[in-house]
Amino acid sequence: MTHWLEAFVHWSAGFGLNYNFLVDAYQRGTLQQGALTTLLLCLLTIVGSLLAGVGLAAMLTSGKPWLAGPARVFVEVTRNTPTLVQLYCAFLVLNMLLTQAVGAANPLTPFAWVVIVISLHKGAFHAEALRAGIEAVPTVTMEAASSLAFNNRQLLWSVQLPLALRFALPALINNLIDLVKMTAVASAIAVGDITYAAIMIWTQSDNVLELMILILGFFGLLSFTVNCVGRWLEARLRMPGYGH
Amino acid sequence: MPSIETVAEPLVSLRDLHLSFGGNPVLKGIDLDVRRGEAVSIIGPSGSGKSTILRCITGLLQPQKGSIRVGATEVHTLAHEAQRIELRKRVGFVFQQYNLFPHLSVLENLVIAPRKVLGRHRADAEKDARALLAKVRMEHKADAYPGQLSGGQQQRVAIARALAMRPELILFDEVTSALDPETVGEVLAVIRELTEEGMTCVLVTHEMRFAEEISDVVYFTENGVIVEHGSAARIFQRPTSERTREFLRHALGDPGRRPTIAADPYLLTNLSRYSLSV
Amino acid sequence: MAIDSSVVLPRAWPRRHIGKLLLGMGALCGLVYFAQHSPVLKALLQWSPALAAGFGQNILISLLAIGSGSVAGLLVGAMVLSPLRLLRWPARLWVQVFRNAPWLVLIYFTTYVFPFEIRIGSTYVAFPDWVKVTLGLALPASANVAEIFRGAIASIPSTQWEAARSLAFSRGQIFRSIILPQCFKRMLPPWMNLYAVITMGTALASLVGVHDVIDTAQIASNTVNQTGFTVVIYLSLLVLFFAYCYPISRFTQYLERRYAFY
Repeated sequence: MTHWLEAFVHWSAGFGLNYNFLVDAYQRGTLQQGALTTLLLCLLTIVGSLLAGVGLAAMLTSGKPWLAGPARVFVEVTRNTPTLVQLYCAFLVLNMLLTQAVGAANPLTPFAWVVIVISLHKGAFHAEALRAGIEAVPTVTMEAASSLAFNNRQLLWSVQLPLALRFALPALINNLIDLVKMTAVASAIAVGDITYAAIMIWTQSDNVLELMILILGFFGLLSFTVNCVGRWLEARLRMPGYGH
Repeated sequence: MPSIETVAEPLVSLRDLHLSFGGNPVLKGIDLDVRRGEAVSIIGPSGSGKSTILRCITGLLQPQKGSIRVGATEVHTLAHEAQRIELRKRVGFVFQQYNLFPHLSVLENLVIAPRKVLGRHRADAEKDARALLAKVRMEHKADAYPGQLSGGQQQRVAIARALAMRPELILFDEVTSALDPETVGEVLAVIRELTEEGMTCVLVTHEMRFAEEISDVVYFTENGVIVEHGSAARIFQRPTSERTREFLRHALGDPGRRPTIAADPYLLTNLSRYSLSV
Repeated sequence: MAIDSSVVLPRAWPRRHIGKLLLGMGALCGLVYFAQHSPVLKALLQWSPALAAGFGQNILISLLAIGSGSVAGLLVGAMVLSPLRLLRWPARLWVQVFRNAPWLVLIYFTTYVFPFEIRIGSTYVAFPDWVKVTLGLALPASANVAEIFRGAIASIPSTQWEAARSLAFSRGQIFRSIILPQCFKRMLPPWMNLYAVITMGTALASLVGVHDVIDTAQIASNTVNQTGFTVVIYLSLLVLFFAYCYPISRFTQYLERRYAFY
């Protein structure tokens, strides 16, 4: 393994690129730790955002104003303010208030705050996509199911949700790819993800370009994976005769 | 087409039905009777409230005034959706478009309601479903998806799906209006067979000749009221109301020709006077 | 199906939102009244010019980024549609790279890679950080504009191409006279959406040392050093961005509805 790394460092030095940090055990370790943190962050936020999205979409389409109103306010505020500001509000404000209230018993680490904020942020986007999907189910199909004596719960689970999910799937996958890129913002509150690890290295060795290429490659690979999983899901859930 | 007149109580009775959407009155006093085993057609111009009548019978719309009786059930008194669901187990409905569930295959479409609503076992439901598909001549498409079928094929599957619930009565809401002329015939053939077997049917249709052929009773509606009703032969051959006559004249052909303009440059026979190469 | 729905015309703008307007004005009056008695709100009023200047920096960055990004994006978009492979492939690569890159990484890239001053002839021109951030945001903007352009062209039904060709138009004429005029209308809503997203992206500038509104808020929070003030100043950041981006989002939805028939 080290042999390959050394060969790569030597080869890239020919182009004037300094990849020495790959052979230094400590720096390589920080990068690996950062990559794992980013992976974990992505997995947790994908699950969290989908759950938040389904919950918010249910509130938005429930038809009850005391549920739909706050949900709509939350979705609009989240979609129209930067993620970084929301992260600061959560971490610098809410966390500070929480620590003042419970002292050292505050269980939420910066990592936890990043997961919560990004899940809720992307959950708002998912909710909009799911709401559009739910509204795209033709009324007549719902009436047809009604006339077959389905009750409300059966209507939701057997007809509305399967069709809404299929209509909303491309938008949901796009949101998840955006989410993978958004996890880079975790470095702003010193969560040790790959961006943060790279910053630590380049402030010492000043090899920004090399690290950039590495990080862009890493995020590109992650986006590509999510894209592939998304396309597999689309193929599995495809309704023959609709779309392409 | 059963011709035995019974003096038994009609299966469906509508009395003085009034319904408005917002401030807009759609039904302004409808009286309608459907006897068991009869085929009833409702004809009339667009916007006359025909589809609304069907939706009231099955409880999808609630009237402001009037009574609806299906068998022993007073539909207008049903307050909870659960009670209307009981009614819908006995009344089948076939819509104009987007009837079938596009994410399920044809067989699954037929099987889902008997299983989830009536609680039947999958094996029984599938056996029945295949028999019904054979009846509408769609058994070779049991594993196809609705998006892969033509409009006429989809409507035949929709009729089979309504039959899978073993209803007492089937309502057809302009089921051939969205189909191209070749496929209209195959759907009408299925409906004709149903009426010949004695199924009680109420059809809203624009297919006048078909309505004349299979119906026992025809109702002509316009502007939310029933203008005239009677046996098919009488309505189509000897209508008493002038509006019925006018409607039938337009519906059965002769839409009225426009007078020609002399020396109209766009009239095709006049084109040779202008140099055009095709 | 011929069921008529009764159409109710919506009331004109002032009457429809009268409840919200009254609430807003009431809140503003209450705020002004309490400002004279609360030290937190007094401090907020003190810092508001600095916050406004910082937000102005954000807006400047966003306008320049979307401007340069759109010009570059249209060029790249045109290259993607070119029949020449030599033009098409680099353009597609550009779009793929800059759409899949996290914006923060791109901003770090442009900030640290470019020098802090450029030599033109014999003078040194300062290359300030905020210009680097603008460049860093213009790159994904151009990739997104190229995609929006491609999507708009693709959304024109192929029947229009066929009809134009059968009327003996050349490819260039079809683009200029028929396709591009329609594309402009279709591109407008997603382009405005992109602008709102870029404005929110300018918040990342604070992480590379640009004195934008977030940086000002952090300085203010550290200077005043009161819990209540920290809460209020970060909330006011939310309010500032929301007040700028939400009207853009509503206008975008309005445009989408208006152009729905085209």
